[in-house]
Amino acid sequence: MAALLALSGCRTPKTAAQEGAPARATETAPTVPPAPATQPTPTPAPAPPVIAPEKPAPAPPSAPPAAKPSTPKAAAAPKQAAPQPAAPAPNAQSAPAAAKPSSLDLNSLEQRLKDTRAIGVFTKLSLKNQVDDLLDDLRAFHKGAAKTPQSELRQKYDLLIMKVLSLLQNGDPQLASAIASSREALWGILMDPQKFANI
Amino acid sequence: MSTRTYRLVFAALGLGAASWAAADASNGKDLQATIVLNGHPCNQVVDSKRNADSDYTATCKDGNRYRVFVDPKGRVLVQKL
Repeated sequence: MAALLALSGCRTPKTAAQEGAPARATETAPTVPPAPATQPTPTPAPAPPVIAPEKPAPAPPSAPPAAKPSTPKAAAAPKQAAPQPAAPAPNAQSAPAAAKPSSLDLNSLEQRLKDTRAIGVFTKLSLKNQVDDLLDDLRAFHKGAAKTPQSELRQKYDLLIMKVLSLLQNGDPQLASAIASSREALWGILMDPQKFANI
Repeated sequence: MSTRTYRLVFAALGLGAASWAAADASNGKDLQATIVLNGHPCNQVVDSKRNADSDYTATCKDGNRYRVFVDPKGRVLVQKL
């Protein structure tokens, strides 16, 4: 319970300060829509923002950098030109950026987890056992022979992430924040059968 | 000259003891985290004894004793003693 509290306390600053993965993407995305929505009354303006939060979701680490510059652009663009070209621009920027780092982050995160001294050998091995168990469950889920429903898998995943974060938050806060920010992206990969098969 | 040698020896001994203590403490933290990860209560490991490779007996501050080891399949197991 204490770990949960500590994590929740830890996660809020991460999302606010650093790269707030999907959570942030959803936060920033709403900021984009209002700008076009206020100036141009046409209906197409609200439509793109709804799609926008879905696209950046897969790769949170890249989303924040793309989202930051996009908000000023989106705010400035409508003043000069039509809102429609301004809205697709952030999407186009975030989509390729999202695809790239997601694969890179997986490898780098894995390596950083292996290298970190914040977690002892026994603990790492124990965590690996639990990760393997979850991967087995997910494999069964994708094969259709799932004993556990998706909601329960998500619970297990969340619990495992919280364990990792609670172990890292004091010894390696940077890695902890990196993992916290890519939490949704990782889940997206795990839930996508094709991406999961490539893990 | 002799005083200087003594100082060096004591410094070396002190460093060795410090590093041993640090290693012991980190080992204790590792064991404690492992015990907790496996769902057993342990607020702090106050004593640990190495039985074999990857096989430890840990005593927690609350008096609980656990055997922490890796089975042949590579799984970390925690047994309450």
